[in-house]
Amino acid sequence: MKKLLMVSLLIMLIISIAEAKIDLNTATLLELKTQLPITDKQANDIYDYRFYNSFFQSIYQLREIESIDQETLNSLKPLVSVSHYDEKDESAQRRDDIYYLIERLGSNEGLQEGMSDIWEDYLISPRNINKLAFSDILNLPNTSPIDVAAILNRVAVGDSISSYRDLRKSPGISYYGAKNLQNYVYYKEQPEVRDIYFDYQMKYNDSPYGDSEKEMYLESMIRFDYPDSDAPKTPGIKRQSYWGYFNMESDRATMMNKLRMRYKNQFKAGFIYETPKGSTPIFDSNSKTLFDEGKFYVGYENNINFLGKNFLKVYAGNFRATFGEGLVMENTDSYSPRKTGYGFNKRITGIIGDISRTQEYALRGIALDWKRNNMNAVVFLSSDKKDAVVYDSNENGELDDDDYILGYINMTNRFSNDELEESEAFFNTEYDDNVNQVKIAPRLDALQEDIIGGHFEYTPFIGTHIGFTGYEAVYDREFVVPEEDELKEILIYHSDYFDKWKITDNEITSMYSTKTTEYGDKDFRRVVGFDWRTVLNNTSIQGEYAELEIDGRLGKIGDDPSALLISSYTQFDNLYLITIYRDYDLDFDNPYHRSFSESERFDDTVFDKLTYGLNNTLLNDMYNNSAQPSAEKGIYFETRYQFHQMLTLNKAYLDIWERKSDARRGVRTEVKLEFKPIHQLRFRIRHKHQVKRYDDEMERGMSQADETELKFITYLSNYDKLQLGYIYARVLQPPYLSILSNPSEPGAADMAQAQTLTTGDMIYLDYTHNFNKNLKVIGAFSMWYANGASFWDFEDIELDFDHSDRGYKMWFNIHSRIANNVYLSIKYKYKQFLTRELEFRDYNDIPEEGEYYFQRVERKENIVRLQLDWKF
Amino acid sequence: MKKAFFIITLITIISGLYSYSILEKETGNIIGNLDPYSAAMGSAVGAGGFRLFDSMVNPANLTGLKNGFGFQGTGSFLMDSDNRSLPMYNSFDAYCGDAVYASNVNTFADFAGGIYYKRVISDFELAASLQYRPQVSFKADYFEQVRNNRNSDDNGYPPKIAQNSIESKGGINAIAFQTAFKYMNIGSLGLEVAQLSGDSEMERSVIWTPEAQDMMNDTLNDTINTLEREFSAIQFIVGANIHFSKRFDLGLSFTPKTEFDITGNKDGVDVNNVVFVYTKFDSTGTPLDSLTFAQYILPMNARIGFSFKPRNIMQTVMNCDIEYIKWSDTNPLYDDAINYYIGVEHMINNKIPFRFGFNYTTSYGLHEDSGFVFANEITTPTFTTGTGFTFLDKFTFDISLEYSNRQYEALDLFMDSYYDHEDLWENYYYLNLQDRGWENPDTVKETFINLKSAISFKW
Repeated sequence: MKKLLMVSLLIMLIISIAEAKIDLNTATLLELKTQLPITDKQANDIYDYRFYNSFFQSIYQLREIESIDQETLNSLKPLVSVSHYDEKDESAQRRDDIYYLIERLGSNEGLQEGMSDIWEDYLISPRNINKLAFSDILNLPNTSPIDVAAILNRVAVGDSISSYRDLRKSPGISYYGAKNLQNYVYYKEQPEVRDIYFDYQMKYNDSPYGDSEKEMYLESMIRFDYPDSDAPKTPGIKRQSYWGYFNMESDRATMMNKLRMRYKNQFKAGFIYETPKGSTPIFDSNSKTLFDEGKFYVGYENNINFLGKNFLKVYAGNFRATFGEGLVMENTDSYSPRKTGYGFNKRITGIIGDISRTQEYALRGIALDWKRNNMNAVVFLSSDKKDAVVYDSNENGELDDDDYILGYINMTNRFSNDELEESEAFFNTEYDDNVNQVKIAPRLDALQEDIIGGHFEYTPFIGTHIGFTGYEAVYDREFVVPEEDELKEILIYHSDYFDKWKITDNEITSMYSTKTTEYGDKDFRRVVGFDWRTVLNNTSIQGEYAELEIDGRLGKIGDDPSALLISSYTQFDNLYLITIYRDYDLDFDNPYHRSFSESERFDDTVFDKLTYGLNNTLLNDMYNNSAQPSAEKGIYFETRYQFHQMLTLNKAYLDIWERKSDARRGVRTEVKLEFKPIHQLRFRIRHKHQVKRYDDEMERGMSQADETELKFITYLSNYDKLQLGYIYARVLQPPYLSILSNPSEPGAADMAQAQTLTTGDMIYLDYTHNFNKNLKVIGAFSMWYANGASFWDFEDIELDFDHSDRGYKMWFNIHSRIANNVYLSIKYKYKQFLTRELEFRDYNDIPEEGEYYFQRVERKENIVRLQLDWKF
Repeated sequence: MKKAFFIITLITIISGLYSYSILEKETGNIIGNLDPYSAAMGSAVGAGGFRLFDSMVNPANLTGLKNGFGFQGTGSFLMDSDNRSLPMYNSFDAYCGDAVYASNVNTFADFAGGIYYKRVISDFELAASLQYRPQVSFKADYFEQVRNNRNSDDNGYPPKIAQNSIESKGGINAIAFQTAFKYMNIGSLGLEVAQLSGDSEMERSVIWTPEAQDMMNDTLNDTINTLEREFSAIQFIVGANIHFSKRFDLGLSFTPKTEFDITGNKDGVDVNNVVFVYTKFDSTGTPLDSLTFAQYILPMNARIGFSFKPRNIMQTVMNCDIEYIKWSDTNPLYDDAINYYIGVEHMINNKIPFRFGFNYTTSYGLHEDSGFVFANEITTPTFTTGTGFTFLDKFTFDISLEYSNRQYEALDLFMDSYYDHEDLWENYYYLNLQDRGWENPDTVKETFINLKSAISFKW
């Protein structure tokens, strides 16, 4: 007993002595000054260090303070203590832990149109894996239907997943599936996170127009060789192009401001206002502009107990609607080739709030998503004005409200209608006061589009569903696509160029009309389809079929333009295999169609190749910003296989397809192999091979492109990284096909006389240096000799397209974490290259001795990007 | 150490600098910052500056200086690279690029100095300073050669027929008295009263070469236009800093419109009688309003900024400013503009400051084409970086680098019809020596690299 008493007293003594020590993490400035044998300056420095640098993790951290020498530290040791203390709340701590994932999502943002926001929310506020529905899990990045079925099959039998280790044990789940999922879900106990979140993001981007956009704006609207004109033939005048007229030389910067708010994962709201090049900055906007040009949403998502368990989502404002494989409805403006729907190429199905940069295909209205047991029903209503191409169908010399619409257009620079009309009047006057030569033009908000749509899905058992999707868009104006001859008259400014109209331009003639001689007059477009999925062991088979209803018989399958996609996904531990078959009719013109394809709609049409011959060069945007896939039929295989810990086939795919418009066949394959002798070293080799050819007697042309890349990556200490790479490209192609007389009539095509071989190469180097965990600088240099070939360069936050004759670029990016919740990055890039513009543009003028030499244009580009993120 | 001090002082004084764009030859370039700390922070010091010249943005910043007497000497070296190009057209009449026809690289230098005194009296901190600094610079140089088309087929240099130049000198300097007081830790108020005075001389000349005179039998007359002006005005700036917490400060400053008294002459004629530009027309094209060379106005501006000092493993400061400039004060053709500034300072290893920032400013170019006067908006993004260190306890050395790149359209500075003399040219028939108006403007690409350095000393 005495011993116990002694021990207790000793403990109390120790505690009292310990309590007498000054805790460096909680002491007031006065305590530091009065209770420690240090100067006022030293006390202030300790206090400031704690306030402005960090809480103390150890007494020895005092030595990081300049005024504290070893002697002072020795004298302080017995007098001070350090308690565990951190101001970070659980959310900040969680953000710290998963920062690398958020960064990775952010770097893919450009391709994902707002999806990274959704994923980031679930990273910060994970959801209970045992309560999620099939689509909830499948909507997370890198999870496969088989992984999801494996999880749900466990939960369905009353089992619950209690940890990541437990998750890994789910029969059928892949290592990568579980690993990718682990940060988006919780198991037993919800991590302590805050309820209310605000995210503010500002992006400033000062970069030049892309080559195709610039060509569109630079092309003169008054052609020098306009044959019918008695108007004076003027030499080149910059003002006679959109570029010159709108003084676009300094129209470079875009600014985006985005604010998101949410309460748990239940109430969500967001607002975005993007100021594209040359448009009204946010501070100059009025409330109407903010409402019209900005995007916003408010949404509610929650489980509701009403006659059983229900899950309800309601969104008002702008929303994204995506179903099945994107054949009927996926409303984004961005086109993404080979969007498989797996890995990072996911589409988030269902309804989500939309504050992405999508403008043309944004839906605005109200959407309701209801899940109950094995059923899911979605209804959405949207009413919005859309930009469209209007042509002078009533031939009154004006583009007015009575004229027909040719189609939707996603404009690079959204000039106001007043500006467009003034510019057209200027061009008309410049050409001839009495002639309205501009017969077709884009117009902002030219079309009222009212959509009612829905999706119904029934799941008979886990992993299997069948769904029906449909929408009807009602318009206040007629879409009328004239017959080919009339269309050529409208689109092409002079008959001399009519023979540039090729068989591929069938994609234009097959656009949707609301008024046809065969089916009469209606004011809507109606697309319906069904989709399905079933998971069998380690294979998931899914697909979607859709029809664009044109003949008025909605219930009959097979009588309308249609699109079909069937895919399968097979998964093993170290291997997956994707197979996708698609077949899209040429006249399946659904503006909200975003499924898998190799190229976008209007590729190789006059909208792509005949900028200089179009009646209005702005029509180039029909191709430049086309979001729909082109009509294709083909089969695609993709796999990943880890042979060994040191050797992985990162990705390999093969696509064999036929373009419907001209029966051109293509084969494309790409293989990426990684060798990792030790963790810090990676050697990667990538090879791409692509052939496109016409399989007819004329052998009009075949193009073949090969590209090989060797890359060496070394991971240094402190997460620093050095990367070296070399790319070699080889392109074999016919002379520029569109310059040949190549009409759609069989046998009328010119024969390509020879193939040209182009080779180019590129070398690059980049280095990432982390000064500490809050400051990172990346610097890169690359140089190429392309000779007309081109290279895609994956920079840290963007994808750059490098081409031209030869050139080089260098860039650096400073990533600074200002505070726990404030992030800033500044990127500067300098790029210099010789273009091949004149060589391409002077093709049909034979240079005479002494008359010409082919001047190459040297271009220098400066690009500045700034991004500020504030999460509070 | 004395040697090091001497060398640094020398660098500072020698590198005092400003150089400016030919765009601002008449309207002047308003100097936004003079301090390398401020420059490195993207000029975002509206709510926090720790150097004497940061107070020219917000006089209340004066109370952020250390107690006692202090001095700051600052200078900068600015290199302006101006590439002026013609539009090029291909055989389809499509504009396909630019051909640079004149490339000018100019450097200018200037310096500024100031002293201050600050002391604490009870709950108040009082500070006052006297500064001598450049406020507006008219310095700009431009040269181009005119060569004819002889010998070019033989790959030989065609002879020079004229030398065109614009030389603009002078500037408006400020003798500024500032005072500020801070009450406890709540906030501070500051006021600046500055006597602005200076002059500018601009000469625009076309000098024919002896070769040209030979071709024209000495019938050509050189052209020299001059503009000489003297300026004086009083400028006021008021500012306030509000100290919300140890982490967050807010700054506000306001500079009212400043109108100058001007004397001078343009080509020997009193500037009051020379119309500069017409700014408004009625339906018949009659000018309703005009400016003269005798009018010179610095626009009203208002700035709001904050300074944020978070807890960071590197001691960190982040400043952000937004500035409203009422450009319409100076010319009704201009729209008012908003400028943005952001800057960050990280103390690497808690010892070496690494500062970087960015700003985005808007100004205007004024053009006259066939009697029609208009303005085009020109935006200038600037990336900044810098560092500094303390030596001999009392001295602080700061250095900064600012990089700007901008591109805009402008009219030909020397119109082509002036050289339309048949005897000067070979194959004259094929030439088209007409003035290029706004239908075919030049493209101007300018790059500014501005190095600033300063020494601060506190007794």
